[in-house]
Amino acid sequence: MAQNVTNVSQTEEVSSTRRVIAASSVGTLIEWYDFYIFGTLAKIISEQFFPKDNPTAALLATLATFAAGFVIRPFGALFFGRLGDLIGRKYTFLVTLVIMGGSTFAIGLVPGYKTIGFFAPAIVFILRLLQGLALGGEYGGAATYVAEHSPAGQRGFWTSFIQTTATLGLFLALGVILIVRQTLGVETFSDWGWRIPFILSALLVGVSVFIRMKMSESPMFVKMKKEGKTSSNPLAESFKEKDNLKMVLIALLGATAGQGVVWYTGQFYALSFLQNACNVEFVQSNMIISIALLIGTPFFIVFGALSDKIGRKYIMMAGMLIAVISYKPIYQAMYDEAALKTKVEMVDKTTVETKEAVKGTDTITTTVTKKAYEDGTTYKETVKLTVPLDPVKKAELVAADKLKPETKKEVTLPENSYYKMIGFVLIQVIFVTMVYGPIAAFLVEIFPTRIRYTSMSLPYHIGNGVFGGLVPLISTRLVEATRPAPGLPPADPLAGLMYPILIASVSFVIGMLYISNKTNNMDVE
Amino acid sequence: MSLIKKLFGIVWSIMGVGIIPLVIMQAMKEIAAKPSEENWIFWSIVIVVLMPIISFSLITFGIFALKGEYDVLA
Repeated sequence: MAQNVTNVSQTEEVSSTRRVIAASSVGTLIEWYDFYIFGTLAKIISEQFFPKDNPTAALLATLATFAAGFVIRPFGALFFGRLGDLIGRKYTFLVTLVIMGGSTFAIGLVPGYKTIGFFAPAIVFILRLLQGLALGGEYGGAATYVAEHSPAGQRGFWTSFIQTTATLGLFLALGVILIVRQTLGVETFSDWGWRIPFILSALLVGVSVFIRMKMSESPMFVKMKKEGKTSSNPLAESFKEKDNLKMVLIALLGATAGQGVVWYTGQFYALSFLQNACNVEFVQSNMIISIALLIGTPFFIVFGALSDKIGRKYIMMAGMLIAVISYKPIYQAMYDEAALKTKVEMVDKTTVETKEAVKGTDTITTTVTKKAYEDGTTYKETVKLTVPLDPVKKAELVAADKLKPETKKEVTLPENSYYKMIGFVLIQVIFVTMVYGPIAAFLVEIFPTRIRYTSMSLPYHIGNGVFGGLVPLISTRLVEATRPAPGLPPADPLAGLMYPILIASVSFVIGMLYISNKTNNMDVE
Repeated sequence: MSLIKKLFGIVWSIMGVGIIPLVIMQAMKEIAAKPSEENWIFWSIVIVVLMPIISFSLITFGIFALKGEYDVLA
């Protein structure tokens, strides 16, 4: 009889933990989705909201807005972390979800630069800041909430489900964008269809809020509150007391900074590299990333569970070390796989087509060159020159050296190269799962319950948001610095890897020297 | 091991201090060569956001390490 009661109680406990995981994970996944559609649509957003005179400046402005979303995250971590430690986890990460959903939905409704001028980028910038603020409060809450429901010895396993949400959120964002783009067609999508993934967020967030409303507060927080042991000033306790500040610094420098750059290199920079350095066509490059993410995602759980057995440290450090050593060979192999120089062109299949059309006050001349290669690769180059009909305006543009064509290069890889590319990205996603799978459990275990939400959120969002989130901006810049002249290819397309390699190397040395591997089965209190 | 951790503490502190003039000089050099909007945006983000975080955290961490605060592993 006693045995039956124990079994029923254990089954109920597992079932309750599963419900907690599912409810927390769905909300966090949607927050990541909201956050990443902006980055994935960076090019279109730059066209819609920033002046088109200088495409590089426009892209950098968008990346800066994108970066602002990341830079603001630590402030969200402090603001909502404090709330979470004062009033509870459940209500705090419910609020972050609503703010995130509301701002994402609103981005989808903002009129473009052509309609409202400077207000357009200004509004988008503010909404992006709100997104960053909300995300800053979300992750720490979800990880803390799940960890405080998980039994000791299984914390790595259960929190790893929260860890899958960032990658699945990116996967969902890529998937929704691809489906909408394919359904509406490229032109309609670039015109207004890009708004749909943003607007769709309202529905997803609505469902998630409904689920989260039914959740109960973390048992550890409830117990602490009953005993009157909650912190009265979590910020001061987290960052003014030496013993906690020490842990915040070790978590940042020895774990989250390295994890952040590995995460963004393996997923975001890989996509940017495929599209901009290898010129792989939009749909194909997104498919490569999506498939690699989908295959790689279960490894978050594998490494999370493994960290319960062998400890968090060595898995995270191994991920950083292998990434540092292998990034250059992997990216070189990706570059070579798509390089047209090494392929044999079938000259008889080359076609050149020129069209001229009048659109509004401009004449648009479009020249499309298509080439085929013996290995099955195809190449399409679209050169578009927009010339004003007004001869005075035309003369002004010529005098200012602004009458330049826009060139779009698209390489479509054959099946063999396509699968190889998936393999190259998958290897990087595995590194991501090694550094990221165990990190929530690691962070939760080094801080006490009374200040956990605040203390773990800040190093996570500085590491992931600032160090990691700046990877696209800094790496793009490093590659651009090697470009001999505008229009020419960069001398070193791999120069962008210098930043993640440097940060991950320092993080690896600090982690190996100063972090213990003893925390795998400890009780949190 | 404790001695190595303390010695590395000096390395982290020096890195934290050294990065400040390096980044500022590079920014001034690049902006002087090409004072474009994109240069200003980029270097503002690096100098206002990234550099203070790296410097402050490395210097503080280095001092803690040098004082032996991390002799017992975190």
